Amino acid sequence: MTELWGVLEEHLPEFSSGLWVTFRLVAASLVIAVVVGTLIAALRVAPSKWLNRIGGVYVETFRNVPLLVLLIIMFAGVRRAGIAIDPWVAGIAALGLYTAAYIAEALRSGVFAVGKGQIDAALSLGLTYPRTMRRIVLPQAVRTVIPALSSLVIAMIKNSAIVGASIVALPDLLKSSRQVASETAQTNEVFFWAAVGYLLLTVTATLAFRYLEQTYAIKR
Amino acid sequence: MENRPRWMLIVLATAMLALASLALTACGDDDETSSDEAEVEVEQYPADTTMGKIQEAGEMNIGVKFDVPPFGFNNPQSGEVEGFDVDLGRYIAEQLGVEPVFREANSDNRIPLLVDGTIDMILSTMTITEERDLEIDFSEPYYVANGDVLVPTDSDIATLDDLNGNRVCTALGSTYQETIKKEAPDADLRLVDLYSQCLELIQTDAVDAVSTDNVILTGMVIQDDTLELLGLNYTEEPYGAGLPDGDAEFKAFVDESIQQYIDDGTWEENYETWVGQYIEEDQQQGPPEITLEEALKLFPL
Repeated sequence: MTELWGVLEEHLPEFSSGLWVTFRLVAASLVIAVVVGTLIAALRVAPSKWLNRIGGVYVETFRNVPLLVLLIIMFAGVRRAGIAIDPWVAGIAALGLYTAAYIAEALRSGVFAVGKGQIDAALSLGLTYPRTMRRIVLPQAVRTVIPALSSLVIAMIKNSAIVGASIVALPDLLKSSRQVASETAQTNEVFFWAAVGYLLLTVTATLAFRYLEQTYAIKR
Repeated sequence: MENRPRWMLIVLATAMLALASLALTACGDDDETSSDEAEVEVEQYPADTTMGKIQEAGEMNIGVKFDVPPFGFNNPQSGEVEGFDVDLGRYIAEQLGVEPVFREANSDNRIPLLVDGTIDMILSTMTITEERDLEIDFSEPYYVANGDVLVPTDSDIATLDDLNGNRVCTALGSTYQETIKKEAPDADLRLVDLYSQCLELIQTDAVDAVSTDNVILTGMVIQDDTLELLGLNYTEEPYGAGLPDGDAEFKAFVDESIQQYIDDGTWEENYETWVGQYIEEDQQQGPPEITLEEALKLFPL
């Protein structure tokens, strides 16, 4: 037990800087994932075959490529193409765009949960399609999919560890923990604290989503 | 989905079975090809020693690098692992009359793999340090590398001091993780799992320099001549075989094998094959003269 606390005390700067890197990575990726995911979901349910297809291509591309491969393409691949992309930009873009595909699919299922009659009613009342989406469909769709989004965000927090472990090599929580582990050889103790760090983030996300669910969910 | 005719199912199932059996026979082939070497007289060790257990298993699991030419690398043409470390591993396995099985062991995972028994021995460009000696045992040194810095030929970096403020790549878990922090505290250290990733990063200008053992860096220069070594030789890195902690008999056996490897000229032969022919004659070296005890003092706790 004393060793457990000793490792934390001695290496708190490494752990906290790693946690901070992971937090920023996750926060920025989440913004991208939500914005892009919503746009793609809108494309997929739009009343135009071509828009549907564009959304479909996006989802299938980003959902069917392993995150690790996406990271290599976004960083090493883009740099080989002569564009000096920053590791942060590459990491955030890859994690954000990858998660966006899943969020788009979750939102799409939420949209389908809203009765078609409501959309027909809104359109026949003279609302434009984007307006119908924004005012009638999406508010209900988002509420329906809050539990699904919660799982996706937790998965994204854990996926962030892949960014650090990949060639993008950001000094995130896992990477800085591994660095401490290789210097101290106290593998069990170090990874215990790494797990606690990830738990801090995932539990916070869970609580935030529980609050959202209680406040906004459609009571059935 | 509509009803598919039943014959389609049968065709599919047959195809999958055929694929599976193909995969299985492919594995079987691997085992056969290597056993046709001439039987050499080998000493049989008692069953309760590590050597005896390896002999009973018929194979020795050796952890080597798969991405570090010229010490351990997966040759895409032959599909096999080759290099200086690999040849030494093969030599030691021959002393027991068993087949070597090479498993990938990089700087970060090699000690855990040895400790949990996945591999019997580490031969993965591993510098002897007191810290590592706490967890495992080392053989006598079998090679001495030097720390150096690799930069693009048009780089302004010329000294260790120049690394400050620049992005420097090395492997997670290597001695350089701490050496660079000491020598150039303001360097922006980029730690990756594999040295091949450092090569990728310096080729795409994502880091300004790579620092590690000169032999590893030489392997990179052989692959890419737009890179060069600074020739700083700022550390001395004696490599030892990593062995399970406290297994004195096994250590004695490996030490003896390495000594024999040096004495019968195999060391020099392999050195020429993997290192000597690529570097200037005045930079070439002979077998290590340093002892394990002296080596441990180079990287104290």
